[in-house]
Amino acid sequence: MLLVGWEALFFWLLTLAALFAAVFTVSAHNPVHCALFLISTLIATAGLFLLLRAEFVAGAQILVYVGGILVLFLFVLMLVNTRSEVENPFNRQDKVGAFIAVLVGLALLGAVTYTQQRGGFFKTKPSADRLAIENARPDPNAPAGVISADTETLGVTLYTRAVLPFEIASVLLLMAIVGSVLLARDRRQEETYD
Amino acid sequence: MMIQWLWITALHVAPKWLESLVEQLFAALPVWLTSNLTPTDATDFIVWPLLQIGVMLLIVLTVVAYLTLAERKVSAWIQVRVGPNRTGPLGLLQPAADGIKLLIKEDVIPFKADKVVFTLAPIISMVCAFIVLAVLPYGPHYASITNINIGLLFILSVSSVGVLGIILGGWASNSKYPLLGALRSSAQMVSYEAAIGLTIVSALIFTRTFSMQGIVEAQRSLGVWFILFLFPSFIVFLVSAVAETNRAPFDLAEAESELVGGFHTEYSGFRFSIFFIAEYTNMVVVSAIAATLYLGGWYVPGMDWVAAQLPAAYREAALTLMGVTAFSIKCGAILYLFIWMRWTFPRYRYDQLMELGWKWLMPAALANIVLTATIFILGKELGLVRSVKGVLEMAWQGKVFFTVAGFLSLFPILALLNAINRNSRSFNLRAQRTTIPLSTRKVKLSPGVKPA
Repeated sequence: MLLVGWEALFFWLLTLAALFAAVFTVSAHNPVHCALFLISTLIATAGLFLLLRAEFVAGAQILVYVGGILVLFLFVLMLVNTRSEVENPFNRQDKVGAFIAVLVGLALLGAVTYTQQRGGFFKTKPSADRLAIENARPDPNAPAGVISADTETLGVTLYTRAVLPFEIASVLLLMAIVGSVLLARDRRQEETYD
Repeated sequence: MMIQWLWITALHVAPKWLESLVEQLFAALPVWLTSNLTPTDATDFIVWPLLQIGVMLLIVLTVVAYLTLAERKVSAWIQVRVGPNRTGPLGLLQPAADGIKLLIKEDVIPFKADKVVFTLAPIISMVCAFIVLAVLPYGPHYASITNINIGLLFILSVSSVGVLGIILGGWASNSKYPLLGALRSSAQMVSYEAAIGLTIVSALIFTRTFSMQGIVEAQRSLGVWFILFLFPSFIVFLVSAVAETNRAPFDLAEAESELVGGFHTEYSGFRFSIFFIAEYTNMVVVSAIAATLYLGGWYVPGMDWVAAQLPAAYREAALTLMGVTAFSIKCGAILYLFIWMRWTFPRYRYDQLMELGWKWLMPAALANIVLTATIFILGKELGLVRSVKGVLEMAWQGKVFFTVAGFLSLFPILALLNAINRNSRSFNLRAQRTTIPLSTRKVKLSPGVKPA
């Protein structure tokens, strides 16, 4: 799919916004500013999802990441004293971190160029249904109660082809929730309250 | 050293290539625009929407301004007072006087505040409140600005971003009371957003679409309002919506008697009024969602019949007029309910608020999803409802079945809530200490056991 016209314009704007905001996320000194830049990155990414005509994913991205996770980030940042981090943002790990980051970046670049040379990310040709969904534009005068194809596709995929990863991810999240409650309120702590 | 050198060379080289780049851009822009922006595109996507947005913004801002007057009048009425009556006839010019007063007041930014975030916070609040107005179905045809296929999800996600305004405003003030207000509000928002999201899922089983116009059309094609099918969901939505808009009895984020002014304590003048406008706009938005999802939006049973009696030329205009009127009346009724609630109920304590969110509304919403889905499948198996290309079709038997089942599903939900809240512990540590001594808990950890 080649990008032309307005799509290209929005693609480049959103990509640049996401990239610069991501850089500022890492380089900002104040943790709350970092969180703000992260929010900008996530919103720009949601815009990219819109360009891919994955409206549901874009909405869910903002709802879950910005409205849920980032709000909790800010919640924690307000409780934790982050002044020491502001004064000395670097520690001994930064060289190792930079090395690993470069390594991962190179690996990603290699993967992208390799798949490009093999003819794009999709090895097989996309099916006719898939092409129809991809090329479908939202009809502004849609008749009563038509399900947007994107939401339907996502729902069907989530409960048929992707059901196992979906369940594994949800069990993982549940474990994290139970574990954090257990860590936060163990019996010793309750004894001190009594 | 290296970076410095690079920087210096960049500074020397930059002007030349930058100049040529800007020149090229300006040369390319007209060509690009003429090839990508046809006159019809320009009218369809720029001129016409801007016109609609301007008109809508004017109307909504007036409504919001008079909502503050309504709030004061209704509160006065509830408290057997007179309320504002000096500015203009019946106090009708009071909003204008308030606006002018707030505009000419001094705008103070605290010395130790984070100035950028401090100025950004009210903007985030207001922008998020206003963006949502674009997808609300004010009426059929030209009465609504746009109809996107993730309308409801869009509203939810944008208003969840609006919470950031409150949190950042509280944090950036660098003061104790706003910070406490912001902390409370972030926890409250996350809890009640979950309840809202879940209760909407059960409504989506009947609407079959996220599009706001689609939701109205679904009710129009059936001829019923979804409140009949989804009464428990409506109750959960209404309670969570009050909490989402930070209004009493859930106004812990501002709580005048505890936190001075909560998150906006340090805000003054026009910045304060921006928060105020955003709050009331959010009220309008939430009432519009409730009206659309449960009360038929702009649809009233019988309006198509009335339109059919008129000559064909007036049919569309009459339908639009009736639709807008119906929508306004429904929103107004829900807004009145919000004001009424504020001046009737006392404020919740923080732990009570969390308990209501997580132990009453969340289980109710979850149980309602399961029940509604079961009822829907049952109706489908009985042949009472058919889904044709995403549109539901049912005869009067189906409507009666779903209405009765919807109201009956209140009972299992209430039984579940009773079971949960009887056997679980209070969130309040003090209450836990008095009701469940540690000695009994160590021996019997099973949740069904009631302590002596």
